[in-house]
Amino acid sequence: MSDSPTRGGMPPALVPGVLIALLGTIVTVALDTVLLWWAALIIGVVLAFAAVILVDRRMPHVRRAGAAGTKEEGTALHNTLVVPTALVLSVVSGLLLAWFLDLSLIEPVAAALGALVGSAAAFLLHRRLSAMLALSFAAVFAAGIIAIAVTALVLFFSGIAPGATFARMIEYGSRPNSLVQIINDGTTYYLAAVAVAIGFKMKLFNIGVDGQYRLAALMAAAVGGWLVLPPVLSQIVIILVAVAVGGAWAGIAGYLKVTRGVSEVISTIMLNAIATGITAYLLNTDRLAVEISTNNIGTPPLPEGSWVPGIPALFLGSEREIFGLVFLAIAVGIGYAVMLNRTRFGFELRATGQSQSAAEASGVNVKKMVFLSMLFSGMVAGLVGMPQLLGSSHFYALDFPTGIGFIGIAIALLGRNHPVGIAFAAVFWAFLNQAAGILPFDGIPQEIAVIAQATIVLTVVVVYEVVHRWGRRYQQQQIGKELGTTVAEPAEATVPAGTASDSGDATGDDTPGNDRGGEAK
Amino acid sequence: MSSTPSGDGGQAPPAVELRGITKRFPGVVANHDIDISVAPGTVHAIVGENGAGKSTLMKTLYGMHRPDEGTIHVNGVQVRFNSPSDAIRNGIGMVHQHFMLADNLTVLENVVLGAERLHGIGSKARAEILRLSGQYGLGADPDRLMEDLGVGDRQRVEILKVLYRGARTIILDEPTAVLVPQEVDELFDNLRELKSEGLTVIFISHKLDEVLSVADEITVIRRGTTVATADPRTTTARELATLMVGGELPVPELRESTVTDEVVLSLDGVTVRSAEGRAVVDGVTLDIHKGEIVGIAGVEGNGQSELIEAVMGMRPIASGAIRLGADDVTGWHTLKIREAGVGYIPEDRHRHGVLLESSLWENRILGHQTKPPSVRGPWIDKTGARTDAERIVAEYDVRTPNIDVIADALSGGNQQKFIIGREMSGSPRFLVAAHPTRGVDVGAQSAIWEQLREARAAGLAVLLISADLDELIGMSDTLHVILRGRLVAQADPATVTPEQLGSAMTGAGLDGDGGTDSTEGDSGDDTADRNGGGNE
Repeated sequence: MSDSPTRGGMPPALVPGVLIALLGTIVTVALDTVLLWWAALIIGVVLAFAAVILVDRRMPHVRRAGAAGTKEEGTALHNTLVVPTALVLSVVSGLLLAWFLDLSLIEPVAAALGALVGSAAAFLLHRRLSAMLALSFAAVFAAGIIAIAVTALVLFFSGIAPGATFARMIEYGSRPNSLVQIINDGTTYYLAAVAVAIGFKMKLFNIGVDGQYRLAALMAAAVGGWLVLPPVLSQIVIILVAVAVGGAWAGIAGYLKVTRGVSEVISTIMLNAIATGITAYLLNTDRLAVEISTNNIGTPPLPEGSWVPGIPALFLGSEREIFGLVFLAIAVGIGYAVMLNRTRFGFELRATGQSQSAAEASGVNVKKMVFLSMLFSGMVAGLVGMPQLLGSSHFYALDFPTGIGFIGIAIALLGRNHPVGIAFAAVFWAFLNQAAGILPFDGIPQEIAVIAQATIVLTVVVVYEVVHRWGRRYQQQQIGKELGTTVAEPAEATVPAGTASDSGDATGDDTPGNDRGGEAK
Repeated sequence: MSSTPSGDGGQAPPAVELRGITKRFPGVVANHDIDISVAPGTVHAIVGENGAGKSTLMKTLYGMHRPDEGTIHVNGVQVRFNSPSDAIRNGIGMVHQHFMLADNLTVLENVVLGAERLHGIGSKARAEILRLSGQYGLGADPDRLMEDLGVGDRQRVEILKVLYRGARTIILDEPTAVLVPQEVDELFDNLRELKSEGLTVIFISHKLDEVLSVADEITVIRRGTTVATADPRTTTARELATLMVGGELPVPELRESTVTDEVVLSLDGVTVRSAEGRAVVDGVTLDIHKGEIVGIAGVEGNGQSELIEAVMGMRPIASGAIRLGADDVTGWHTLKIREAGVGYIPEDRHRHGVLLESSLWENRILGHQTKPPSVRGPWIDKTGARTDAERIVAEYDVRTPNIDVIADALSGGNQQKFIIGREMSGSPRFLVAAHPTRGVDVGAQSAIWEQLREARAAGLAVLLISADLDELIGMSDTLHVILRGRLVAQADPATVTPEQLGSAMTGAGLDGDGGTDSTEGDSGDDTADRNGGGNE
């Protein structure tokens, strides 16, 4: 529901946007000579935002209503929430971009580009950010603050200085090598979370992503290791094997649910255990495995022609390489978004998730949808191990990462099953994991990151739900106001017996809240 | 608590008195200036249209939410309820329309569940249940499993639950909606028993004949407020109906017959069995012609829902055949039936008609996800769906700020108008209209009737199911009565009265004159000339 359905982007309306973006950039560049780059950038973007507000006041006809469609400008909610959220978002986006570019570009250019993007974001957000979307951002901010506060409290009571710990984590987490690691981990997490999210959209809990990707990775590695194929074809075959195995493994759960009514939660948990057993059985030197080193066995290493080359991360200032399959994750994300929002299948998926009975009455074959979404979820799950297999380890051994399926569940929850939300959540999760790596050196327990992760998942889920409900009520209220809730009552009816009280001007049955009251009949 | 003796209650304070109750929901006033005084030892009925605010009011009285203004007095003492347990403490209990019973527990276990403190869970509780059951003639067996009990028995267990918790005033929310006529009579006997023992009953309903037969006093609620108090001995159902809708009752009527010879939908001996193997639809044979509206009258739960679900392909049929035009559609999937030109206005729009959390334009696609303008091949045609949603909003007078609002933000009447607009688009051949005006305000009601008339004139065949007998009589070209899954009678809408129809619905047959024939499963080929007589 957060996709903005407006089509107000006429070229003339964009002219002030371009001017404002230039204004923000020029101010930033000018101030950069006397101030630190980030201070200059903040001032530049804030000025641009102020200019946006001024311009939009002048041209009320161009301003649009929120995605919810109600008239939002001028309402209390808009002034207190949407405008500040838009401001914060545009400054943060500018700062983050500038910081990121600063790793590979010289500082003035990075700051200027950051300011340009920040100012453009100010223009777009002020016009387009709907109250509902702003509420979502506000919810995530609030949840983040609560989670940080809880973590800080835990640290404090453990006798560790919270401020210093956080500073250390941010410092270590933003080192070039850490960034590469975060992107690589995030890629894997993202795939796992998309796999989970496909199920979630249907109200299906695919707990079995973990087993699906492990089994898929093992099979794919075995095929790639034993069957030597020419480059390109080899990678394609390996990935297809993984997709097929993951899909088949999840498909078992889908088939059981459709034909036997077995809860997918139970069956996927069981299938996880079975996958562990099968993996252990097959990963034996008598069967698929060979000796990799003295105390490790795994599938035969892939020939170099079957690898997916990494992307040198020199632009981040790091010697290490980013998984080449990061593009696969991006493609999966785009595919997921397009499938969900643009295709009939996605529509039926969302409809079934929202109301199975309505979907059925509308001719959606719910059983087919359950099976297919389990299958697709498993197919994406099969991809989870691929970046690691093809980009880094090149064989499936005893030390292949495990547990990513469960991380995927948390990330899907955190990202609200939204393709972009999941991306942020995956990167954030990877950042916490990576940044916590420095803590043991300072004598601080590394588990602090786990506490932060758990708290943030809980708070995001709770806060988001609360805010979402409140927002929905607010929306109904706005619509009620806009349409007018009172209906003029015609003349008083005659009363045959007993006493009549005055009927006055009544609100009627023509109102949402009331309809709920009467809906029980 | 109440020690009020049974009797006329002339001197005793009212068992329950509501003064100036106003309840606002965000942006909406659901109840305002409600004044009701319920004398002890009486059955007090509260009647009103669907959506008039009866349930909201009763939730206020039962402590499920707090009123914004006004006071509640119980036995003359002002009270404030923060939760249903406060209401129970003050001797007010409620029997909900949907039973809240655990099937796998016994009667005893269901009754004591949550009230273990009162008499424990053992022999004392059993003794108390038997005592109450005997005193009020409820005939409960504490050791029967709930899943073995019928609907009427379950309802008595619900009443027993409330009595067990010490209630002296019992609220019954639409208790007869789920009962068959005999069970309704039994329930009314129970209510009279309760009354004679000095208990007070508040009875919520929109079925006027029932109210007139059981109530001692009637309060009419319209558009969220009390408009009249009536004495059932001197009031007629028609007068009550006029009070309920505010005097300007739109009259459903058809102008001239548009019925043709061309059969659009033909049911031949359609039988649907429930999970237990009972025939819930039993050998229904019916033809619906182009330009004809065929109404099905019946007490709720006599197979109407199953019949339409069978027609829509949502429920497998045990035997018989369904033909749509020249095609045998028996066993077709819902989607295929819809694609063949069948529109469906479901009886429960929230369960079957809309996606509450999706925008209107997305709801435009629902049920039409394989046809233009909503889709192009496997892709959603956003522009097409939006344009067509705009068209529906304009043509069907859906009151909404725009098509991006979620369906849940609209009122029930506007949701219904949108659904009707959607189901009429793509010019269907045949429409299943289940309770098309249920829970819809009067203005929308007449608009919906007009849409149906226009579509009928354009050649649409309609299967109309409704609980509103006036709607059925006024809108149908042919009228059948369904009882326990069988079509037991056919009535001529030009001459039949609601009373005759009502008695046929309860199995008493169509008595009196009125030019009706009591046929079983007659296909009604002669409706065209019969209807030529013209309605008023």
